[in-house]
Amino acid sequence: MVVLNKKSFKLPRVEKEKFIALMNSGCEYNREQATFTIKSYNNIERLIDTISSILGSDVVFLQSCTRCGKDFACGDCKYEELCTTKNLPFGCVCPQCLRDRKHFEEYLQKL
Amino acid sequence: MQRNDLLWVEKYRPKKIEDIVGNEEAKATFVEWLKTKRKNKKAVLLYGPPGVGKTALVNAAAREFGFTVIEMNASDARSEKAINAVAKPATSYVALDNFSAGQTQKKRNLLFLDEVDGIAGNEDRGGVGAIIKIVEEALTPVVMAANDPDIDKLRPLKKVCLLIRFQQVRIPLIIALLQKICLLEHVKAEFEALERIAQNSRGDVRSAINDLQSLSEENHSLTLQDTAMLSSRNKDISMDDTLRGFFSTKSIAEVSSLLSYSNVDYDEFLLSVSDNLPKRFTDPDELAAAYNFVSQADVFRGRIGTENWHLLKYFFNSLSRAAAVNPQSYKPFEFITPPIRIITLFWTKGKRTMLDNICGKIGTKCHVSHSIAKHDFVPFVKMILQKQKNSPLIAWLEFTPEEVDFLVKMNRF
Repeated sequence: MVVLNKKSFKLPRVEKEKFIALMNSGCEYNREQATFTIKSYNNIERLIDTISSILGSDVVFLQSCTRCGKDFACGDCKYEELCTTKNLPFGCVCPQCLRDRKHFEEYLQKL
Repeated sequence: MQRNDLLWVEKYRPKKIEDIVGNEEAKATFVEWLKTKRKNKKAVLLYGPPGVGKTALVNAAAREFGFTVIEMNASDARSEKAINAVAKPATSYVALDNFSAGQTQKKRNLLFLDEVDGIAGNEDRGGVGAIIKIVEEALTPVVMAANDPDIDKLRPLKKVCLLIRFQQVRIPLIIALLQKICLLEHVKAEFEALERIAQNSRGDVRSAINDLQSLSEENHSLTLQDTAMLSSRNKDISMDDTLRGFFSTKSIAEVSSLLSYSNVDYDEFLLSVSDNLPKRFTDPDELAAAYNFVSQADVFRGRIGTENWHLLKYFFNSLSRAAAVNPQSYKPFEFITPPIRIITLFWTKGKRTMLDNICGKIGTKCHVSHSIAKHDFVPFVKMILQKQKNSPLIAWLEFTPEEVDFLVKMNRF
C-alpha cells in the first residue's frame, strides 16, 4: 500500500498512454519539480485506479482533520466500511476530535 | 413565522461558504471559477447526490460575492419560451435591485437553474437548447445543478459547462454538524444516536438534520432507542462504484449485498464484468472459473427477460461467485467502462447506417430483402466497383460517391 500526499506526489516514469490517462483523469504535471498534483476531483476514482496500476499497489491518501488539522488514515475510522469516499483526498474529522467533547467546544469557540 | 417554528434545515442553512460541510475541493473550484475563470467557461454544472450542498453553495457564494440569484427550479416550467422569458433578462449585467434606495455597491445577477436533469417531456420542449444559447450569450454567471449528469439530454449542456462533482458528505462531518445543532438547540443527544442518524442519512446532510429535528425537537433529548424508528435510506450505487466493489470483494455475501443495493442496468453490468475479468484474474484457471460463473449469470439474465424477476437471486448468486473466485488475488486496475460492445456500436453507427442505405438501394432495385442484399449482393457489388470504378452499376443503383467509396474500402460485412 502506498500513501500519497494530495498536494503533490511523484510517480515513476510512465509510458505515453498512462500519462494521457493521468491527465484525462484530472492530474496536472509540474515539469520543473517533476511532481503530479490533482487538479480536478471529478474522476478521482479513475485517477486512483490509474495511479494504482502504475504503482502496482493500492493507493491511499491521508485525511486531514478539519478541526485539529492533523493527518490520519481512513483505517483509523470506524465508519470506513460505510464511506463512499474511503481513502480519497477529502477533508474529514479525526476519531479523537469526534468523540472528544473538549476538542468540540474549542472548535466551536474558534468559529 | 417565528424563528423557533422554522425547519432546522432552513434555520441552519449555510450563510457563508465555509459553513457548508464537506466537499472542500468542489467549493474551492466553484469559488475560483466565480472569481476569475469565467472567461474560459461561462457556465458551471454542479452535480452530485441530493443534500450535499449544491444549492447552499450557490446561495452562500452569491451572498459573499454580491450577486443577486435569479433561480429557476423543477417547479417552474422550463420550456424554451419560459427560459427565454426569465433567464434572458436575468443575464443582463445589472440587477434590478440596484435601483432600490440605499444601494451603494452595484450587484450583478447570477442565473441559477436547479435540477436541470429534471428538464423533460413536452412541457419543457426546447429547454436545453435555450439554456445553451443563453450560456453562450450571457454576460453574467450561469450556474446549474443536477443529481445525475449522465443522462443523454444533458450531453450538449456538459460541453459548454465546467463540471464540478459533489460527493456524499462523510459520516464524521455529519456527526460534527449534528453535534453543533444539538448544542445550539439545547438538545441532549447520545453520541451513538447521532452516529446512527448520520449513518442512516448516507451522506445526505438535509435528511440527517430533518431526522434529528423530528426525533429530538419535542423532548430536547435524543437516545439511541429513539432512533430505532428511523427508516433506512437506500441510495443507488453508480456503475463505477458497483464494478469497483464487485471486483475488490472479499466474499460472496458482500458482493450479493452490493448488487442488491445497486440499481445498474444488468445487461450493461454483465458486459462490463465480462470485459474486465481478464484484468482482474490474471491466472488462466481463475479466469476460466470466473467466466464459467459469468456465463451461468448470462443464462439466468436471459431467462429473467422482463418478467421472471424471481430468478434475479440466481443471477446475483452466479455473478457473486464469479467475483469471489479468489478474493486474495485482487490488485487495483483500471476499469474498462462503458462496455467495449457498446463503445463499438457507438463508433460504428455511421458505417452501419451507410451499409443499411446501400442495402436498401440494392433491395429496391433487385426486389430482395435487406438481409439478402447484404449477404448475397454487397460482396459482388464491391468486387465490381473495385475493378471498375466508373461502372454503370453506380448510376443504376443510384449510389452517392461516399457510398461507392465506403463499399470499395470496406473490409468486413
